[in-house]
Amino acid sequence: MVSERITCSGCSLLCDDIIIKSDGLYIDEVIGACLKGKERFDQITSKNRILNPQIKKDGELQKATLDEALEKVIKIIKNSSKPLLYGFSTVSCEAQLKGIHLASVINGFIDSNSTICQGKVLNTSKETGISLTTITEAINKADLLILWGANAAESIPRLLNKVLFSRGKFRMTGREIKTLIAIDPVKTASFGVMGVRDVALQIKAGKDIDLIRVLKEECCVADSIPDKGIAGIDSNDLKRLLLHLTGAENGIIFIGQGLLNSQNGSNVIKELLELVQLINVKQQKGRMSVMMLGGHYNMVGFEHVALSNYGKNQSLQFSNNLLVETSDTIVSNIEKEDFDCSIIVGTDPISHFPKHLSKKLMSKPIILIDNKQSATSYVADVIIPSCITGIESGGLVYRIDHVPLNLKKIINPPNNIFSDEEIIEKIIEKLV
Amino acid sequence: MELYKFLPKTNCKKCNPKTCMAFALALLQGKVKVDDCPPLLEPKHKKDYEKLKELLGSEDGKEKELTIDVDNDLCDGCGICVTVCPVNARYCPPTLSGKAPDYPPEKHQLFQIKSGKCELLNLKQCRRIEAEGRERECRVCETYCPREAIKIDYV
Repeated sequence: MVSERITCSGCSLLCDDIIIKSDGLYIDEVIGACLKGKERFDQITSKNRILNPQIKKDGELQKATLDEALEKVIKIIKNSSKPLLYGFSTVSCEAQLKGIHLASVINGFIDSNSTICQGKVLNTSKETGISLTTITEAINKADLLILWGANAAESIPRLLNKVLFSRGKFRMTGREIKTLIAIDPVKTASFGVMGVRDVALQIKAGKDIDLIRVLKEECCVADSIPDKGIAGIDSNDLKRLLLHLTGAENGIIFIGQGLLNSQNGSNVIKELLELVQLINVKQQKGRMSVMMLGGHYNMVGFEHVALSNYGKNQSLQFSNNLLVETSDTIVSNIEKEDFDCSIIVGTDPISHFPKHLSKKLMSKPIILIDNKQSATSYVADVIIPSCITGIESGGLVYRIDHVPLNLKKIINPPNNIFSDEEIIEKIIEKLV
Repeated sequence: MELYKFLPKTNCKKCNPKTCMAFALALLQGKVKVDDCPPLLEPKHKKDYEKLKELLGSEDGKEKELTIDVDNDLCDGCGICVTVCPVNARYCPPTLSGKAPDYPPEKHQLFQIKSGKCELLNLKQCRRIEAEGRERECRVCETYCPREAIKIDYV
């Protein structure tokens, strides 16, 4: 029986303080992990786990050997001229690199989940600039935390525990000096951790852009705040928010999924990043930074791998084994039906995408490399089961604050199941 | 003030805190008992004596017991109770930086997250039993639980 500290791969926070007791075959106890992390460890023996390669024959999925499944994959790829590769947010960076290599070999289009998620923030930051921070800095130095359009208490359960309630190295007081501001249209569970000094702002849905514009004006010129308030927030709360924003020594804005959609025809993220810059320029006391709250544990990793190796962070189109310029994304490619087969790695686009996109994706052959049953696994043509990264295979992954961490291999995978990296390598070997 | 109303208000200096106001405060903090006030035991103050006993309820004889009830259906194992608990902060250094405490747990440790749920380990170390004065009124775990899964009660 071994008990050791490992890194959890349940969500993008990647807690590195989880203690497990394992005998090398099974994991007996998980201590310190939240419910999300515990579910991740439970996947090993879950009944939703895919343990056999499957091939669709006569409209039904049937068990097959790995070689048969790989042959079918090669057949589908060789018959297609515009393959689409999607996913790669829940695999290690090594597998992502292999995935991009596969795309260049078969002249395909590759994209990750970050395109429809927090990748938008990084794309916008190319124009405006961005001031990032790390979790450790939030633990030790932060005195203002703003949850904007994010329900961190339920989506990333241990985030508030780490950044809000921890005492930190330099100030042993902790919660008492840290101010939490939650901006959300609905009263979420994150409002439940509010103390007396904290500010809870229930904004009208789709009006964040108005609030950001008012704050930007106020930061430039100290004019009078609108008496009626803005976007359902009264002027007193607005004054308190402005006071906190300009007076904080080390403030962090957590950008949630609620801000990613454009409002009133404008890019909210762009306005928000400009506001952060404005505060940083104006403020003599401290600094304001942003952190993106994504869901998948290695979504940031794809951006880093693609950017450092190929010079573009997402939506890579290959032609003649070389990267070509394109303005397409995964959504526009499926919308235009500009593909003839799709390779999905570790994600479930059929249930994530809207119905009309899912239908278009289903109309072409789907190759799925994943470890669990999902909506996609029911409609796939070939399924190749893979290891659970972080438990049955190791690798490098990036945390939400762009810090690389190493995942350890804890137990051995079941027979004839390989990691994503090995499976993609086998496909490349058979193709070349 | 509610307790002060039922005291004799004579400042007779027969009890330990010497004044009735101080005695009321001490009563509230659990430092003295109702029987420590000699004038209250006289027949003319019988009504007040009974009223005070009723208000405090449990000073002697059948003492009310502290329970911390964790609802396992609501709890999602965020670990805020582990980090925020002052007893854990004193005896388990990793919780100062928001990390999970060491395993096996320290003998003073109050909360622990196991299999994604909060687990109460050692109720006797809770500040509501151990500490003195204002620290006895500690309710941080109940206050800051985002899912309202923790309930502190006297049964």
